[in-house]
Amino acid sequence: MADDLWRQWQAFAALWAPGAPGRAAGDGGFGFAPFIDAAGRFKAAAQSLLDGAAGGPAAAAQAAQNFSDFLRDEFAGARPPWNAGFGPGIGAAAPDSSWSEWPALGPMREHQLRWQRMSEAARRIDDAQRRLQRLWSDALRQAAADFAARLQPSASGAADAEALRKLYDTWIDCAEDAYARIAHSEDFCNAQAELVNAGSQWRQELQAGIEHWAKLLDLPTRSEINTLALRLKSIEQQLRAATAAARIATPAAPAAAPAARPAARATASEPKARPKPRVAPRKPSPARRRNARRKAKR
Amino acid sequence: MSGAGPSAAAAASHGASGCSQKELVWQSGKLRLYRYRPIARPAGGVPLLIVYALVNRPYMMDLQEDRSLIRGLLAAGLDVYLIDWGYPDGADRFTTLADYIEDYLAGCVERILLTHRLDALNLLGVCQGGVFSLCYAGLHPRRVRNLITMVTPVDFHTPADLLSKWVSKIDVAAWVGEGNVSGDALNQLFLSLMPFRLTQQKYVDLLAGIPDRALIENFVRVEQWIFDSPDQAGAAFGEFVLWFYQENRLMQDRLEIAGRKVRLRELHLPVLNLIGKRDHLVPPAASAALQGLVGDADYTALEFDLGHIGMYISARAQREVPAAIAGWLATR
Repeated sequence: MADDLWRQWQAFAALWAPGAPGRAAGDGGFGFAPFIDAAGRFKAAAQSLLDGAAGGPAAAAQAAQNFSDFLRDEFAGARPPWNAGFGPGIGAAAPDSSWSEWPALGPMREHQLRWQRMSEAARRIDDAQRRLQRLWSDALRQAAADFAARLQPSASGAADAEALRKLYDTWIDCAEDAYARIAHSEDFCNAQAELVNAGSQWRQELQAGIEHWAKLLDLPTRSEINTLALRLKSIEQQLRAATAAARIATPAAPAAAPAARPAARATASEPKARPKPRVAPRKPSPARRRNARRKAKR
Repeated sequence: MSGAGPSAAAAASHGASGCSQKELVWQSGKLRLYRYRPIARPAGGVPLLIVYALVNRPYMMDLQEDRSLIRGLLAAGLDVYLIDWGYPDGADRFTTLADYIEDYLAGCVERILLTHRLDALNLLGVCQGGVFSLCYAGLHPRRVRNLITMVTPVDFHTPADLLSKWVSKIDVAAWVGEGNVSGDALNQLFLSLMPFRLTQQKYVDLLAGIPDRALIENFVRVEQWIFDSPDQAGAAFGEFVLWFYQENRLMQDRLEIAGRKVRLRELHLPVLNLIGKRDHLVPPAASAALQGLVGDADYTALEFDLGHIGMYISARAQREVPAAIAGWLATR
């Protein structure tokens, strides 16, 4: 396996070589492509920085400012991990607010209320996402400022690999430090909690709506399956309790008995713990036995 | 792009079962209990049961030959067992912490004790598995001879604990509902702790470095482990977040499992606490708080200048952690 892995990694890495026959333009966001593209932009911006640094104090300051602006812009569009589960804003699809305030009357009252609650949850999700995005932008702004302050005024020369790498690592350090300050803040924690709580409510209302339609079509619902699962679990617990009580009542059980199920907490999911099905034929009744004897004599 | 790139990346995977020889010795539901085959002269004595967390797969303990905590323990002559909790599915959503600790973990302990005709074994709990081990030891102190906790949170309200701050105001019951919690969602949460390093810098590092066969193989294995995240049984997950992260019950001495109080202050067995000084998931202070909870136990804490994952797989960890565990056990 290791040899295969190595060969395939080499084939994979070769695709990134300039002019490689397997490499097409615009690699479509697969795997490393975003990092390769970002690295290209980073290299160009860093080269400008280093060129500017060689042009005197004023040019160096301007170059540093340009570079920190580039970094802030570069990361501003990135979707923070906490938004990944919600797509581009559930709230954007919510009906307008006037609809959500209509009085709920008549036979559709419950459905309307549910949709209104969903709409409200979607609005809260959207609001929480905006707050988080704003905090993310604040972190990037602060990171860019810290980065500009940490740049060495004497930095100059070509954008060789070592210089680029040092700049990049410094940027990551600044970004993580700035983000950590924001992420520990009360505002961030509140927004994060609001996003999760509103998302939970939205999902709950959506699930209730879907279950309603499933019942109309006589399809099984998750609620029904949950009810059955809880009943099964309750029966398992009663069985365990009864087995344990029986074991206490018969202390002379052989020593090997606990080996199969310690603490006698067998679960129904383990086939061995289930009672064996009765496979032996039922004992024939006396009348059947008499008939069989007659047939045998014939 | 041609298909070669994706196929190469997809093929850069690793068998998710660890590298050391082991045998299945017991199973219950999705749980598997493994016993590792010795690779050195057995030191004799009490077997060691490793209790890993629910949130990732236990093969991180045995990732590859030169990065295997388990291999280090085997080389020291220890008799090692490992619990694999499996992948919970929708049918496991009502599995509780009591089920995990009093049924599955207790079942493994009883099985091992029966095999070895012993009254007590050594327990090594890792991360969340360390919390489970503490709970088990508190409930069944006579079944545990020595307790080792590794990157284990005890105080969930320390200032550096970002996860705890984030979940403090979340309505856990609504979040979990009656379902499981997606492993993918948890991964997003963990990535959010250090988004620049975890979603960008580490890949840039890989690309920027000189292509080194061992380095890439190791990277891909760790990558696989990170994102091979089982869904979490909803009931147990909800209890864990509420009881530990939100209510900090261990620290407040008011934790009950299956109706029985977990009495850490009455523990009198030897305890070794292994702490990562650069752990961003379990801050050192969150682990170190154990000392104040275990009463007059024979308590030892060892700090390593490592992060959470580094405690399992770094070269330094390979040199120091198994030796520390084996050495500590040998004197008790």
